[in-house]
Amino acid sequence: MTSRRDFLWNLGGGLGGIALAHMLDRDGVLAAGTHHPPRAKRVVQLFMSGAASQVDTFDYKPLLIRKAGEKFDPGGKVELFQSDPGPVMKSPWDWKQRGQCGKWVSDLVPHIASCVDDIAFLHSMVSKSNVHGPATFLQSTGFVLPGFPAMGAWVSYGLGSLNDNLPVFVVLPDPRGFAPNGPSNWSAGFLPAMHQGTMIRVGRPNPIHDLFPPDAAAFINAKSEREGLALLESLNRGHAAGRAGDSRLDARIRSYEMAARLQVSAPEVLDIAGESEATRKLYGLDDPVTEDFGRRCLIARRLLERGVRFVQVWSGADNGHPRRNWDSHEDIAKDHGEMAAGMDKGTAALIKDLKALGLLDDTIVYWTTEFGRMPCSQGGKGRDHNPFTFTSWLAGGGIRGGATYGESDEWSYKPAEKELYGYDVHATVLHLLGIDHERLTYRSSGIDRRLTDVHGHVIREIVET
Amino acid sequence: MRPALALLLWTSSLAADVTFVGDVRPILESRCVACHRGSGAAAGVALDAFDSVRSLVHAGDAESSRLWLQVSGTPPAMPKGGRPLDASQLTVLRDWILQGAPEGSGPPAPAVWWAFRPLQRFEPPPAAGWGRTPVDSFIHAKQRAQALEPAPEADRRTLIRRVTYNLHGLPPSPEDIEAFVNDRDPEAYEKLVDRLLASPRYGERWGRHWLDVVHYGESHGYDKDKPRRNAWPYRDYVIRSFNEDKPYARFVEEQLAGDVLYPDDPRAVVATGFVAAGPWDFVGHVELREGTVDKRITRSLDRDDMVMAAMSTFTSMTVHCARCHDHKFDPIPQADYYKLQAVFGGVDRADRPYDEDPAVWGKRRPLLQARRTVLAGLQPLYDQAARLDNEETRAIDGAVAALRKEISGIPPAGAGSDPARRSALQAKVAAAQKERQEITFGLLPEPRRSQFQALRGELTRLDAALGALPKPAWVYAASNDFARQSNFSPAWSPRPVHLLARGSVEAEGSLMTPGALSAVAGLPADFGAIDAEGERRAALARWVTDSKNPLTWRSIANRVWHFHFGAGLVDSPNDFGRMGAEPSHPELLDWLAQFLLDNDGSLKKLHRLILTSAVYRQSSRHHDAFAKIDGENRSLWRMNRTRLEAEAVRDSVLAVTGKLDLTVGGPPAEHFFFRDDHSPEYDYARFDPDGPGAHRRAIYRFIVRSVPDPFFESLDCPDASQLTAKRNVTLTAIQALALLNDPFMVRQSEHFAARLERERPDLPSRVERAYELALGRAPRPEESRALIEYGRAHGLVNACRLLFNLNEFVFVD
Repeated sequence: MTSRRDFLWNLGGGLGGIALAHMLDRDGVLAAGTHHPPRAKRVVQLFMSGAASQVDTFDYKPLLIRKAGEKFDPGGKVELFQSDPGPVMKSPWDWKQRGQCGKWVSDLVPHIASCVDDIAFLHSMVSKSNVHGPATFLQSTGFVLPGFPAMGAWVSYGLGSLNDNLPVFVVLPDPRGFAPNGPSNWSAGFLPAMHQGTMIRVGRPNPIHDLFPPDAAAFINAKSEREGLALLESLNRGHAAGRAGDSRLDARIRSYEMAARLQVSAPEVLDIAGESEATRKLYGLDDPVTEDFGRRCLIARRLLERGVRFVQVWSGADNGHPRRNWDSHEDIAKDHGEMAAGMDKGTAALIKDLKALGLLDDTIVYWTTEFGRMPCSQGGKGRDHNPFTFTSWLAGGGIRGGATYGESDEWSYKPAEKELYGYDVHATVLHLLGIDHERLTYRSSGIDRRLTDVHGHVIREIVET
Repeated sequence: MRPALALLLWTSSLAADVTFVGDVRPILESRCVACHRGSGAAAGVALDAFDSVRSLVHAGDAESSRLWLQVSGTPPAMPKGGRPLDASQLTVLRDWILQGAPEGSGPPAPAVWWAFRPLQRFEPPPAAGWGRTPVDSFIHAKQRAQALEPAPEADRRTLIRRVTYNLHGLPPSPEDIEAFVNDRDPEAYEKLVDRLLASPRYGERWGRHWLDVVHYGESHGYDKDKPRRNAWPYRDYVIRSFNEDKPYARFVEEQLAGDVLYPDDPRAVVATGFVAAGPWDFVGHVELREGTVDKRITRSLDRDDMVMAAMSTFTSMTVHCARCHDHKFDPIPQADYYKLQAVFGGVDRADRPYDEDPAVWGKRRPLLQARRTVLAGLQPLYDQAARLDNEETRAIDGAVAALRKEISGIPPAGAGSDPARRSALQAKVAAAQKERQEITFGLLPEPRRSQFQALRGELTRLDAALGALPKPAWVYAASNDFARQSNFSPAWSPRPVHLLARGSVEAEGSLMTPGALSAVAGLPADFGAIDAEGERRAALARWVTDSKNPLTWRSIANRVWHFHFGAGLVDSPNDFGRMGAEPSHPELLDWLAQFLLDNDGSLKKLHRLILTSAVYRQSSRHHDAFAKIDGENRSLWRMNRTRLEAEAVRDSVLAVTGKLDLTVGGPPAEHFFFRDDHSPEYDYARFDPDGPGAHRRAIYRFIVRSVPDPFFESLDCPDASQLTAKRNVTLTAIQALALLNDPFMVRQSEHFAARLERERPDLPSRVERAYELALGRAPRPEESRALIEYGRAHGLVNACRLLFNLNEFVFVD
């Protein structure tokens, strides 16, 4: 027996029959032209919640191997978040040089390691907070305070939609729960609500909230929907006819047409039945360990392919126990090991797949976390927070592959040079999208707000010329 | 060495005719005058007038001029705590001295920005054949100047729907509509307005506006977004204040410093929930250790939120723009901002006890005060004792270290975890520490030991006296007296607040005393050194509510206007500065502000004045020619059509189906599944739409900051971490889907149909009743036919669901 919802999903939604004469106006403020010619059209942001360790993944430090077990003494007072510094701790994983560029990457992320020639690494990233909440906001919205628009919301506001059937900004949270700050990480803040991230909760019975009526509402069927929506439109047109000069009345009529299209498009994009066996394997869907993140990466690709501008994929939930994100205070080997397995395979698959489809040229893959982890232990087998230096990386969309910019010191404790902030990465991503980060502004309570606040420099060294 | 270096750097200018008025004064205004103004100037050095500045220089000789020496050293002595004057500014100062330090003439000091001008008493323009109130005279005069004409009066059916939504956020009942439409009394409309203003539904509607403005939420926000179980008494206080028509000055005073200004009124304690309403970084306050850089950042940002909320809400000024540098557009130096931070230097956000019964409160308050004094006296003794040790305590320290090691070997959760053993060990640690503390108290030298014993005895006595009182109620409010939670503890005296260069806690400048905006003329902007925490807030409250503070009275008059017309006379209600909008009707704005002052700050009188005006009663009809002249309708040549807010949509649905639960006040209704955890889970999808509290008015729902209710979010309910003076209005696909498919909407469609079936015998009469209830009118024949046909084919429930999705249901003419 099929449930009524399956019936709707299979039919592609009950509202599909409405005449779609009108397009919703979904242009961004830069619809007439970006500030300069764009290199990229789309972004996928992979967010490692809880603080992924740079010294166990991409920031190779032979000194940690040499001094493993010795007192951690980088000079000056070492102020940790929740502990006193333990001895220097080498990574539980071995390091190898990879690709044409010879980048050292650990065995924790072997699949991403096979993509290094497409990636530009930033090793001197600095956070302004060593607390997960504010630091996560800083990477997602550019401010340490709550209430600001997410990067995807800014892109939506600036560039608008590339398609007429799907939201502009889509978020795929970790099914285990929300990262610190929850959905306010993808809020529209003070921007109009249409710019907020639309959550797709993969694996839930209703992946998009309210996309279809609840199953229990047996009185709703495809025919009642079709005829009901036609009648709604006709009654609304009668109402608007007596109220000239108010475009909102028409806009609201069109919002129901857009809703109908979303009902058709969303189930289609989430249905991966048509993907080949090879693709499913590439994303690790054949292995329960890698299946979840892989599926979300595959859905991300399908969204990008269909013209969604900005997709955010979360690896990791909150900082609770047992560990379900990258906040490995207790046991790096175990907890990072578990987190990385799916993330590594899915991420690499996404890069390779986008490349094979010719989409990597104008799609930016942006991998980040809120801060790094310490080169010392915090007494046992875990590492405490390191806000002073961490690694982010970018690939595709005009990024120079095989590049490394910004170095941490010999410990990967603090930057050795060229301190970089999330502002700089945000400015760079906007730059590649054709946007001058200083000129994409929105007036809120007397301030012309920007994604980059009053900061940010485009990192030209990692941009292809 | 120093003068030589200065010479090398500053002798290159060839500028001619440098004068005080034209060149020097702007520099001093922007960098020095915040501290060096008038009779209260720092160090007695006033830099705001030519004569006093002139007395600080030797014409022709910079190197012997005190003014020059103060600002030109390496590093310069002045500006104290701020960045040095830049090279071009120094060149101007030096050239001015070298050229004989002339006063010069030039353009007069820049005109005062409209918002800072004193309130003026304007006479309403003479009426010209239209209008009912002085308000209309102002509006009509401007229309005439633009060749616009007012719209005709709306019909009664439209008027009652408009004014009922405006004051209650609910639709009028069909019975109320019929009574009003058929009322022959020429004062029928005035009677209606009075009836609506007297209803408790009014406070629920306007209280919600206020909660937007003050960014009220019921969880902390950030990571580990914990619920605030005791925030709601402030929400009830707001609703009650509107319903009681509390004079506005009193309303402001109570929210900033009610606990100090009205100590005998327990509800004035609740009012300070305002100070605590915004987000709070739990991890930063509770988990970060004292003395770390991040701890100082956390505290500074927390005060920033308090300053921003107070000044945006009450004065419509963007003071927070002066955190890192002087305000770029408005006359707000950084020093003003940090003086305001000093106002909040001693408060935190925490649960605070109070009593509904003033008699009990009258007993509790002095006991709490005495107890706080004892605790403050004990603190240094605790600190001293903690540093003492002997053989016995060292043995305990060893045992504690061993216990801690054991604990760290047990995972907190997951494989190998053992919560029972873990907490047993933790209890042992606590007991050992307690034992250690008791030993060290005995080691205190005299007379400290006797002092300690006396204070401790006093504490025991006070605790017993407090314990004998009935259990208190609690409110999440401004507090300097709360139980320590890990690394979060009250400040026994206000924490020092320094001016921070670039807003950085690692670049501390001068220590700041409390104060407010220096740009408001005629009010002392410096409160001087105040030791008592609460007196600082009281001083700010008095500054804000002073009848000579034009910002305050214009701000509230404009907010009231905004919520009646959908747009303020100043269309940026939180920003009266240069980046905001200018008033469309400046004289009217002053007139309304003055009206409030003349009427003891009664908002209800102001509502009545506005609602009974001809401009409010206009129809919302369109006019092509007028739209070409004034497309945004700033001159109000018609009434604005508005879309209902999220709360009004939901409340209206409940009112129409007959399910609305009008229970007033109390703990909020949780429209989600809640599970407490490291980071609590709030899941809206797992809530029965008929579950407990589901039918209460939306102002009583629990507002989670990090996980907003998707139904409300889709209808532009603002982020509870943002101060929202004015909501966005969007019309999106996600919103359409929410109104069509949200389990609440679907369930209510069923309730609506059930009600109609109870009340009317057949489909045609049920459709007619549905229109009356939902839209306040009878269906036209073609509407009736279409709905009946649809209802026959697909059932009455589907027809009901359709009505809730009509444009007419969510727009008000």
